[in-house]
Amino acid sequence: MTKVIAITGKGGTGKTAVAALLIRSLSKKGKFLLAVDADADTNLPETLGCENVKTIGDAKEFLQAEITKPRPDNPDMNKESVLKSKVYEIIEEMPGYDLLVMGRPEGSGCYCYVNNLLRGIMDKLIVNYDVVIIDAEAGLEHFSRKIIRDIDDLIVVTDASRRGFRTAERIHELVDELGSNVGRIHVIANKVTDANSEKLVKLAGDLKLNMIGMIPLDPKIEEMDIKGIPLFEIQDDSVAAVEIENIIQKLGF
Amino acid sequence: MVEFPFEISPMFEGERVRKEGMFVELGGPKSLGLELVRAADMDAIEDDKVTIVGPDLKEMEEGKTYPWAMVFNIGGELVEPDLESVVERRVHDFINYCQGIMHLNQRYDVWMRVSKDTAAKMDSFEPFGKAVMMLFKTELPFIEKMQVTFYTDKAEVEKQLEAAKEIFKARDARTKDLRDEDVDVFYGCTLCQSFAPTNVCVVSPDRVSLCGAINWFDGRAAAKVDPEGPQFSIEKGELLDAKTGEYTGVNDIAKKLSAGEFDKIKLHSFFDSPHTSCGCFEVVGFYIPEVDGIGWVNREYQGMAPNGIGFSTMAGQTGGGKQIVGFLGIGVAYFYSPKFIQADGGWNRVVWLPAMLKEKIAETIPADLIDKIATENDATDIQSLKAFLQDKNHPIVATWAAAEEEEEEEEEEEAEAVAAAAAPMMMPAAGFQMPAMASMPMMSTGKAGGIKITFKKAKISIERMVISEKKE
Repeated sequence: MTKVIAITGKGGTGKTAVAALLIRSLSKKGKFLLAVDADADTNLPETLGCENVKTIGDAKEFLQAEITKPRPDNPDMNKESVLKSKVYEIIEEMPGYDLLVMGRPEGSGCYCYVNNLLRGIMDKLIVNYDVVIIDAEAGLEHFSRKIIRDIDDLIVVTDASRRGFRTAERIHELVDELGSNVGRIHVIANKVTDANSEKLVKLAGDLKLNMIGMIPLDPKIEEMDIKGIPLFEIQDDSVAAVEIENIIQKLGF
Repeated sequence: MVEFPFEISPMFEGERVRKEGMFVELGGPKSLGLELVRAADMDAIEDDKVTIVGPDLKEMEEGKTYPWAMVFNIGGELVEPDLESVVERRVHDFINYCQGIMHLNQRYDVWMRVSKDTAAKMDSFEPFGKAVMMLFKTELPFIEKMQVTFYTDKAEVEKQLEAAKEIFKARDARTKDLRDEDVDVFYGCTLCQSFAPTNVCVVSPDRVSLCGAINWFDGRAAAKVDPEGPQFSIEKGELLDAKTGEYTGVNDIAKKLSAGEFDKIKLHSFFDSPHTSCGCFEVVGFYIPEVDGIGWVNREYQGMAPNGIGFSTMAGQTGGGKQIVGFLGIGVAYFYSPKFIQADGGWNRVVWLPAMLKEKIAETIPADLIDKIATENDATDIQSLKAFLQDKNHPIVATWAAAEEEEEEEEEEEAEAVAAAAAPMMMPAAGFQMPAMASMPMMSTGKAGGIKITFKKAKISIERMVISEKKE
């Protein structure tokens, strides 16, 4: 069975870094995984060391334009297999894992049909993998559209800011509203220091959020970021990478 | 049952053969790939035969990409050329059922990969060809005999591609000529019912879905693969009225899917029992009572229509899966239908289009009308629209004169009739009958919104009616 893990949280809390570290550790463990960038704002591809440009958004626009031509060249076109071909073309084959970027939001027309095709394609694609890791924006748009239907673990990344926690709480509520199929919800505290760790634990307790990890503020990550080195190349013994190992165990790997 | 060297199951449909695990790639974005199904005489087919022209699997080099063409011949008592495309659409499904073989795209864009695991289990494409033909004959029993030729030689693939392009062209020409009367089955789509619960999208050869994304062929393909899915077949039943496009089968499904909300849908009618409007339509048509004509506005048009309303407001009024008399959502391709609102005068009733839409669909507008249909550059309100239509002598103008004559006979006080006409409650004069159940949207010119009055099974006789603006 494929395990689907979505990482979300307020912008700036480091959710993309956490996603990249999870991808790195799980793929090192030999898990075959699909990394999905589902936040038009993030830079998961760069963080993983990939200059990916093509997106599902492009594929959808391509098909939408093709099928809403007033005089289609081929009215009997097999739209499902054409869209699937575009999606499979977009998938970036990285060493040990695949990367898929959702990309831009859709245009103004009706995408019910295209999204319905995409849902079917994603359902069948996901079973190819041991794990799917999704870097998702806090609004969880792709889940509300049910492009990816089921999530086993939803991880909300927060920093020590009250707003970070507020976002975590809101996402909690959003999941209830969506009626999405979400198995478990966890929180990872990021950029933890000696000064704020107690406050973080207390905040999580107050909001009844299940904290499964506290990633210390890692000067190496900041350094890599400044130098433009993909986070994927972080050392195993860095404090962040060590904590990620613990988190993976708690997630059942 | 014959044994095949690889497993066969729908379970493998989405299987992705990665570069790392791939033995060879056939066709695809970096090469040439073709699939074609052709009907042939029974005598000309050697059942179950696989022919390979060019290097076979064992002669291929690992990791390389090869040009690829596959031509299937089908025969059977019921097999006819019209079935070629139906069968061809299934090639994608059946090849993907084969473990370790990935098939994508269609026609002259075919892209396949064979995994190392599967390639290790066979020397030739022959068992693969036999497996696919077995699937075809099992799932589509009208195929009695089948043979296939795989081409991997570049010159041969190019030759097949050339020939196939002509075949596809001829086939496309045939599909474009398909009319409502040529088929027994239409298709319904309920994708929009999640937000427009009573919407019934009926897709026929002469009427594309409102979103523009689903045509009759898509309905046919989807309904075959998953009859319980969002697209399903509608037996069109008895033709009740060719002009309005009324069929017993469509009426039945309208009643059923709208939970009795309405009992008729006339496919090519604007006023009487029109098609329901979901909310995702590409274009919305609106009746302009002052000129007794119909204007159309597309989703991309940002401005106002001559009735003082923009697309989004009209879409809000029209959407939700209701029959709103006076408004109609359509897909752009419906403008190209030879039956385009033929119950209500067709193109002769069209008086206004946004310039961008008019330009986009110019080729389908009758030549004698194209200059008579106004855009926002010609008319932005009712007054200027009226003047434009009169100036260009639009066919609708002739009906005004007829309507006025009638009014003169019936109405004694001309002045009040004019006052009534100023408020947009004038009924279309020629041949318009109040539908049994009508929702006539009323709105004051220049303002969005308004009220809606619904008459159900109403009989109204009015001696005299005066409509005037409310004075505070």
